[in-house]
Amino acid sequence: MNKTGFLYDDRYQLHLTGDYHPEVPQRLTCVYRGVQEAGLLSSLIQLEASRADMKWIELVHDGRYIQRFEAACLSGKSMFESPDNQMCYDTYETALLAAGGILDVAGRVMEGELDNAFCAVRPPGHHAEVANAMGFCYINNVAIAARYLQNQWGIQRVGIVDFDVHHGNGTQHIFEQDPTVYYYSIHEHPSFAFPGTGREFEYGKNSGHGYTKNSPVLPGQSDEEYKRLIEKDLIPAFEEFKPEVILVSVGFDAHMDDDMSDIKLSTEGFSWIMQRIVELGRQHSKGRIISVLEGGYALNRLPELAANHVKILLNGKI
Amino acid sequence: MFVSRSMTRKVITVDPEKSVFEAQELLAGNHIRHLPVVDQNRQLIGIVTDRDIRSAMPYNFIKDSCSEEQREQICALTVKDIMTRDPISVSPTYTIQDALLMIQNSKVGALPVVGDDGKLSGILSVRDLLRAFINVLGIGEPGSLLCILVKEEVGQLKKIVDAITEENISFGSILVARYWDENKRAVFTYLLTQNVAQVKKKLNNLGFTLLDPMEWYLDQLPKNEPSPKSTE
Repeated sequence: MNKTGFLYDDRYQLHLTGDYHPEVPQRLTCVYRGVQEAGLLSSLIQLEASRADMKWIELVHDGRYIQRFEAACLSGKSMFESPDNQMCYDTYETALLAAGGILDVAGRVMEGELDNAFCAVRPPGHHAEVANAMGFCYINNVAIAARYLQNQWGIQRVGIVDFDVHHGNGTQHIFEQDPTVYYYSIHEHPSFAFPGTGREFEYGKNSGHGYTKNSPVLPGQSDEEYKRLIEKDLIPAFEEFKPEVILVSVGFDAHMDDDMSDIKLSTEGFSWIMQRIVELGRQHSKGRIISVLEGGYALNRLPELAANHVKILLNGKI
Repeated sequence: MFVSRSMTRKVITVDPEKSVFEAQELLAGNHIRHLPVVDQNRQLIGIVTDRDIRSAMPYNFIKDSCSEEQREQICALTVKDIMTRDPISVSPTYTIQDALLMIQNSKVGALPVVGDDGKLSGILSVRDLLRAFINVLGIGEPGSLLCILVKEEVGQLKKIVDAITEENISFGSILVARYWDENKRAVFTYLLTQNVAQVKKKLNNLGFTLLDPMEWYLDQLPKNEPSPKSTE
């Protein structure tokens, strides 16, 4: 059994998005309950949030943007840059706790205290650009973790797998000119779903060309198509790139019961994807996998999806 | 919506007395396919395309196996020998719609833009029109596309716009396209949000049909229109 970390903190519920918003604190309650009710807590190394040092945030984000974000929260604004980004007084602090918790986890993985981890954080991060909030995201958690691993721990090659049903435009744009971070995303085709990027012909730019890969999935598709695309696109790419650490943007919103998309993945489909990523990590990354929650809004499905995700991190299978 | 706002102004042109090879280099070096031919007063007298040039060079010339005499003939060819004279052109005050229809009808890839004084002022290519169309679709901004099937009657669009506006969602674009069922229209709303679940539910409750994305057509032909094969 692996030494699997589980980052969860009640303070991640302090970010409130108002009525009629899908990205609600109950998402995390469901994730936690799922892990708890499956009897997994005692097998996990439970970790609490810690606040990110600004020097790591600014490896990715524009300092003036972060100041704007902080000012908007503290002045009591309920929205930042777009009506999609509903927020409250505590949103800024919660976002720093999310990023900081993940950096703490990353450090523990590098020290060998953990083999891998699941970070159940809010707000999510993969749509956040260098100087823009977008699609419920303010600070790009996974991007900051990648830069931290490189700067603090001397990691040369970071692999990112993003299976949220929406393309992680922020993460892609942050690393698209960088051959040391490989970004792979599988998501609903951008002609049908937010945010309209992540097309098959986006491969990265300049010296980063060939280190971005997108597998757009047509509406209505399910497990078989995901399996086919992951085997065809992700596996060979990472076998060649050989990431030293794999970061995973975990979105559960491609589930058939999640009404945020037209993709129809089953619960078993998600398990298959994660098992495949764990296998990849074992072969190329010394098992070092840091998975971070992004989307996933079907409250009735989150408990089982989270429990399965954690089981696979612990045992490599369900 | 005027050609003058969408055309390329810095046009690369060629003199009619230049050799075909010089014209070919201009095309390749600038990654373009159309060269307007102008005289000293910048009056448009013709256009030469990459296809015109290819047609002027026989296969055995390219393969380096033609006779010396043939070679000399080809090398002596000038732009004015192979250009299309008096090409179809448009005025800067034409609209984008005019240009779209003209390009479709005339089957050319670009239209030189000529002012009232007969001087070349720009060129409008299929590429420029594509850029305008991408802008109209609004797909340069992040958003989500929905396709809503409506009865063809007055007031439907208002209901849709009201319902979406109540959700505090901005529009990137709205397109209304014909649908094979004659009494219906397909309304494509490009919404500048990730948060579509709630608004989808609302539109369903109002009695609208949200079309399965795999059934979307921006250019749906009538169902009873005979296909070319079935007329045999």
